[in-house]
Amino acid sequence: MSFALKNPFGIRSKLVFLSSFLLVIPWLGYQYILAMEDYLRRGQEQTVLGTAQALATALNERPELFNEGSYSPVTRSEDLYVYPIYSPLSLVDSSLNDWGAYQQYEVLHDNRDFLATALNPARLYVGDDSLRFKSMLGEYNGNLYAYFKVTDDEVIYRNQDALTVYRSDFLQISMLSKEGNDVTRYVIAPYQAEPIYPFRVEEDYSNPVYEERITGQWYDASDGYVVELRIPMEMLGDRLGFAVFDVDDPESRNVSTVVATYRADDAERLGSLRLPTPEIDRIVAGMGYNNSRIQIVDRTGRVLLTAGDIQSATGIQLAPIAEGERDNKYWLFLQDNILDPLYYQVLTKPSFDFIDELYSEVTREGAHITSALRGTPLTQFRTLSDSQTRLLEAAHPIMANKEVMGAVVVDQNMNGLRTFRNEALEQLFNTLIAVVLIVVLGLFFFASRISTRILGLRNQAEAIIDDAGRVQNTIMPSRNSDEIGDLSRSFSSIVERLSQYTNYLENMSSRLSHELRTPVTVVRSSIENLGLTEKSEESAVYIQRAEEGISRLNLILTNMSEATRLEQMLQTSEKEKIDLVKVIGGCVEGYKLAYPEARFELDAPENAIHVSGVPEYIAQLLDKLIANAVEFTYPDQPILVHYRALRDHAVIRVSNAGPSLPEEMKDRLFDSMISVRTQEKQRQPHLGMGLHIARLITDFHGGQIRAENRQDQEGAIITVVIPLFYK
Amino acid sequence: MSRRIAIVEDEAAIRENYADVLRKQGYEVQTYANRKDAMAAFDIRLPNLAIIDIGLENEIDGGFVLCQALRSLSDTLPIIFLTARDNDFDTVSGLRMGADDYLTKDISLPHLTARIAALFRRLDVIDQPTSPENLLERGKLSLDIGRLTVQWEEHPVPLTVTEFWMVHALAKFPGHVKSRQVLMQESKIFVDGSTITSHVKRIRKKFVQLDRAFDCIETVYGMGYRWNVETAPSEQCA
Repeated sequence: MSFALKNPFGIRSKLVFLSSFLLVIPWLGYQYILAMEDYLRRGQEQTVLGTAQALATALNERPELFNEGSYSPVTRSEDLYVYPIYSPLSLVDSSLNDWGAYQQYEVLHDNRDFLATALNPARLYVGDDSLRFKSMLGEYNGNLYAYFKVTDDEVIYRNQDALTVYRSDFLQISMLSKEGNDVTRYVIAPYQAEPIYPFRVEEDYSNPVYEERITGQWYDASDGYVVELRIPMEMLGDRLGFAVFDVDDPESRNVSTVVATYRADDAERLGSLRLPTPEIDRIVAGMGYNNSRIQIVDRTGRVLLTAGDIQSATGIQLAPIAEGERDNKYWLFLQDNILDPLYYQVLTKPSFDFIDELYSEVTREGAHITSALRGTPLTQFRTLSDSQTRLLEAAHPIMANKEVMGAVVVDQNMNGLRTFRNEALEQLFNTLIAVVLIVVLGLFFFASRISTRILGLRNQAEAIIDDAGRVQNTIMPSRNSDEIGDLSRSFSSIVERLSQYTNYLENMSSRLSHELRTPVTVVRSSIENLGLTEKSEESAVYIQRAEEGISRLNLILTNMSEATRLEQMLQTSEKEKIDLVKVIGGCVEGYKLAYPEARFELDAPENAIHVSGVPEYIAQLLDKLIANAVEFTYPDQPILVHYRALRDHAVIRVSNAGPSLPEEMKDRLFDSMISVRTQEKQRQPHLGMGLHIARLITDFHGGQIRAENRQDQEGAIITVVIPLFYK
Repeated sequence: MSRRIAIVEDEAAIRENYADVLRKQGYEVQTYANRKDAMAAFDIRLPNLAIIDIGLENEIDGGFVLCQALRSLSDTLPIIFLTARDNDFDTVSGLRMGADDYLTKDISLPHLTARIAALFRRLDVIDQPTSPENLLERGKLSLDIGRLTVQWEEHPVPLTVTEFWMVHALAKFPGHVKSRQVLMQESKIFVDGSTITSHVKRIRKKFVQLDRAFDCIETVYGMGYRWNVETAPSEQCA
């Protein structure tokens, strides 16, 4: 088979290529899920806007909620929340039990709230955890109640003899008076745990004056002390602040640490008193269960209220994966270590620890808020720059008296949807990978099987005929009922018929000779009979000519069956170890006698060459080669017989000067009944069996025979190669 | 009383041609076209010599069967296969079945008649003493030309007439190379060279059966065969 005919793409690769179209299915699935995600996103958009609308509706027509008077619109960290209390509080019980559930609103002040004052030199307080307090403010019956749960490792009371009020642990109350802008300071610095005696002091803590309107109690606790006090509301101005001064060294009695509810000791930085608005709280708290961050802003965009945080506001609540599904360890391993890393090359895994840099507890901005404050609800998507997280934001106006009072802002992150999408895609990919793998593998094995069978058939077909064009093997007909099996069977029957025909051709000469022999015998015996009876001179001539003709006919018949007879004999012959030097030497001597007109040149090696064979057949082989050479040689040109042992083979060359062999006949020269003789050469009957017999004998000895033209001059060389004898 | 020869041959022309020739030689000839007819006649009376073709009408190996039957009837009856089959197998099987000679139809009529005469002569002289002038001695080999018998170290070698003539041709002039052509002429057969080779092989085998060390027939490659006369070292042959 010529190389050019070979298809560079086998059936296997073609089928695998075709099956790669299956990869369209994951793409389609991906597109489908993207479309579904888009649909769900619109749904989420509507839901969020609906939430905002519902909340806005609940707050509509309630302008008092945004009333400046009852509700300071600006919230600062210094501001103090005052909670309405509906039961009397005791200031002598040395316990906070009477505060009951209000304690949950207590506010912690710790080292973040250190205050630098004239009493304590500036220093770094980072990491200083020695002083902190929790405070709580409440309003009952026109009085402001407060408690301060101070954690202090070293409680230093005022020296019994001391007149100064700032050389021990003390609590300072700073307030703006109702009428003026100047700060009034009260100090509570007890000699021991006792009912408090507040003093009004100047800015430098001098000139303490007892202030009877402020009452309360100072008592020890396990890790510090607790101060409970009551201030009539009419004493209070707009601003109020508390500071806890701590003295740790009982000898020097210098103030080391101050923790305050305000940032700086001046009138502007004191906090406002703020009444909590439980009504909005309740409304918002009612809405706060829907996985959203809800904020209410006023007309200036200042945040009045916040519920929920954006990190957990996923919008869609996914059902947790059932326990059983996570049980399979192998699947889990595959999913976690192979599939997921692969998928998340493409997909983005939502992060839940993102930071919304535009978010503020104080003011909010954005196109949606601007739009809502103009009266039009709007939703928008925003992608955070530092992560892959997208936020969905909706704002809805709150109306009162046909005026926009503020807006409800509802934010959700898209992580829930994205997680949902990712899970859907993962499942889709898992299934598709399995399906595609199975289909591709199946196709591959199917194609492999087909291509193996076809290759097998081709190999068998190529092995049928050997280089010389003889039918050597048959094809084993396949039992498969499909097309390839059919092909195999029809090949097999073709080969069978072909080999029958070849066999017929090969045996034809033998059969012909056998069939002809009987009539020839009839003719010959009749003529001989005639010769025996007829005595006349005249007829004797004809009888003799007829007998000569019959003899030639006989010779032809004998030659025709020679090959067949030889083949039969070869089958029963046994090889022995023979010396080629002896056999060929003897033969050449014989040829010198047999062909006196020809010249022989023998080029023989000195040492014996042992081959495994039958000497008579080797001689017969040589007979045929020599007869051939003698016939074709030019007169007076020697016939060269050369033989040598080369490596593990004996090489015999018989060459003669004479007409060259026709190129196209070289390979067929050794076939049965092939002759290149010209008509005038045919002195004797020739059937082209000589070289065929030579090949039969060479084959029998496991050798090879070939004919070539001589390089040095016109002529032919026939080379026989026979393996050497070895044990 | 003339000798009776039976010819079993399915080809009428050949059969009659042979019969005519033999009748002219003075033999009484009976011809049969198939095995059945021949067996029926042989059951009644045996001929003095039988010439049998192997393929008989529809029986491919009818001649072999007939030969076996005849040999069971008589041990001494000369049987000649005369057939168109010239391959080794048939020759070997024919001779194994007890035939005295195996001839192909290439043989000329005079050669055939000479062979028949020789066979009869061998029968005739079997009881008579050997005349010394007919004896040819070559070492352990002893040829009786009159009886056409061969002895090796006093043991008879069962050679066919063809083989005898070949041995005779070789042993007559020991050391002389006899080409295949010569052997063919001497043994009055016309075959190709390879048939001579197998004849010589068979002759060697028959001698080797008697004497494992026998190697007096030497192949001279490319020329033919010769009777080995070298005395040293075995001193066997001359």
